[in-house]
Amino acid sequence: MTDTPSTIETAAADSEAERKSKEAYFTAGQYALIWARFKKNRSAVVAGVILIVMILMGLSAPFLSPYDPNIAGRDATYQNGAPQIPKFWDENGFSFRPFLYKLERTRSAATNFRWVTQVNRDERRYLELFVKGWEFYIINIDLDLPGDTFDLRLKTWRVDTHLFGMDQGMIHLFGTEAAGKDIFARTMFAIWTSLAVGTIGVGIAFVLALIIGGVSGYAGGWTDSILQMITDAVRTVPAIPLFMALAAMVPDEWSAETRFFFISIILGLIGWPTLARRVRTHLLTERSQEYVLAAKLCSATPGHIIRRHLLPSFSSYIIVDLVISFPYMVLSETALSFIGLGLKDPVNSLGVLLQNVTKVDVLLNYQWYFIPAGFFMALVLAFVFVGDGLRDAADPYSGH
Amino acid sequence: MLQFSRFVIMRFIMAVVTLLMVSFIVFSLMELVPANCAERYMAFKNTQGEQITIADIRAEEIRMGLDKPYVTRWVNWVSDVFVRGDFGTSCILRVRVNDLLGTKFWISLGICLASLLLAYIIAIPVGIYSATTNKPGLNNILRFVSYLGLAMPNFLLALMIMLASTILFGDSLTGLFSKEYRDAAWSYDRFMNFLSHAWLPVFILGWSATAFALQTVRALMSDEYNKLYVTAARARGLSGRQLLWRYPARHALGPIINSLGFDLNRIFNELPIIALILTLTEAGALLLESLARSNDQQLAGAIIFMLTASIIGLNFLTDIMLALLDPRVRRGIMGGA
Repeated sequence: MTDTPSTIETAAADSEAERKSKEAYFTAGQYALIWARFKKNRSAVVAGVILIVMILMGLSAPFLSPYDPNIAGRDATYQNGAPQIPKFWDENGFSFRPFLYKLERTRSAATNFRWVTQVNRDERRYLELFVKGWEFYIINIDLDLPGDTFDLRLKTWRVDTHLFGMDQGMIHLFGTEAAGKDIFARTMFAIWTSLAVGTIGVGIAFVLALIIGGVSGYAGGWTDSILQMITDAVRTVPAIPLFMALAAMVPDEWSAETRFFFISIILGLIGWPTLARRVRTHLLTERSQEYVLAAKLCSATPGHIIRRHLLPSFSSYIIVDLVISFPYMVLSETALSFIGLGLKDPVNSLGVLLQNVTKVDVLLNYQWYFIPAGFFMALVLAFVFVGDGLRDAADPYSGH
Repeated sequence: MLQFSRFVIMRFIMAVVTLLMVSFIVFSLMELVPANCAERYMAFKNTQGEQITIADIRAEEIRMGLDKPYVTRWVNWVSDVFVRGDFGTSCILRVRVNDLLGTKFWISLGICLASLLLAYIIAIPVGIYSATTNKPGLNNILRFVSYLGLAMPNFLLALMIMLASTILFGDSLTGLFSKEYRDAAWSYDRFMNFLSHAWLPVFILGWSATAFALQTVRALMSDEYNKLYVTAARARGLSGRQLLWRYPARHALGPIINSLGFDLNRIFNELPIIALILTLTEAGALLLESLARSNDQQLAGAIIFMLTASIIGLNFLTDIMLALLDPRVRRGIMGGA
């Protein structure tokens, strides 16, 4: 407060604003309260921003990647190539437009007659924004499930503009792998794949958990005991060996997309017990509350009570649980693909990208194969931090 | 005492029932793997130059008992496993599964239990310290490290260690034995050689387990530490280690013991992946081999069953341990005595 004539007025205004904010606090809905608490947690907010950026990157993968991540977009002249960082200046002077050098493939006695890629520092190639490149479709659904009736093909809205590219030649920010595929493009698509796998997996696990946990928690008694025994039995089997056994059933002749779909379903089918248990615990405590009794007296059906009264009472907890279980889905997919039982090559995912890095050759010479791993650690960490922040925010009894 | 033994017997029966259910799940899974044993065996004979007809396959199925109903075959399998500890024969390799698994399973179990132990040796003191200290810097570092443990897949850690050791020492630290001991009989030297190799898988498996354990211990301790009875004890003049060990640490111990089984579960998850990277020759590698390459139902089923059985066994032990250690649980069993 300052010593101006308007001190009293400001004080009055202050208390008015304070009262308003207090009133807003007391009358705020549950989600507004959670949001207010979440905002105070700085690391969770930072993680949230990173997460949103990553999700946007995944969603706009075709636009961000200058080349097709599959074999169609390979750079035949630059295989196992190191990452190329655009430069602004070199010994030949400064340039406002970032540039790379021309690559030339030569073969001579000096190289023992093997093809070797050499950098020609005299010829520059410039980076450009919004270049025309390979074509992609904004809406591109191509489901080829077993059985013709489930097939779904939808392809519209063709685009061929990409965020960046070169005027001549190609740019590989993260280098290339053995076939000359651009690792940057593959990483972008892999983020998308991981998000998709996680979403489908969590979605299926969620529905199963709601049904099983809901019935178990609402019915109680014998139904509950039996369902709990089954849930516990499923929970005791280590998940990855179980995934492996299920994934081993996928016939080799299935297409990459079908495989992808199936693996996501498997992840969901095994991920439900933890969620189901939580739903059950919530329901068990809630179902003996008076408002449930009131609804029962009004002759509401069990389904109606579960849907309209019980589930909304802890929907915020469920959302938090979903966010928390998301990274485990992503990690499971990665592990499964890594050991060769999950997704396979034309599909880009972290596990697929990392399949080759165990080779000594790669370990010693091509360390840029590891770059996608950094993105995935960031993605998983962001999810874990946001999930934890949400959990703290949703818990009215947490200290901060 | 009578009540306690009744409790143990009840728990034992429950464990066996769970095990039976798991065996059913595993057996059903293995049934779903394409092609059965008879077809495989006949396909093998075919490669040896014999003419095979459908009738031959059917005859073989009857000889192997594969024509019997599903449940009958499950009962046969389960009773063999439970009564005689016999997992039958792997039809790909035509060797008894028990001979194949042999000590390999126990090596895996040993490695996993060792990493579980390592995890808690680190997590309990560090977790308690981090829950009771009020240095935000240290807490943030610990939090970040344990988050990193969660977020960084174990295989990445393994790869990075391999990368570093290949560059620094020119040795990728893989395998479980040196060449000369690989097929030797167990001896003191072989055991020492095994230990000199096993620390790496133990460390890598223990890494994320430690991260998990650290979070659990910290959360439990900070919950207990703010409770009134701790304040009361402090008011009576207790402080420092005495205060911690007498009151909140004991309370926090219960849930930790309870969660050991699931920690082991999590470690088993990583086993096949670590086995792949470090080219180990134990049960994880066998599981991978049997599922990823040869579709060997019998072997894979046996391994998954054994892994789950050891988790159930550990759960059983922790239940009893908890009853012995925690007076509240004990009173629950003894009926208020």
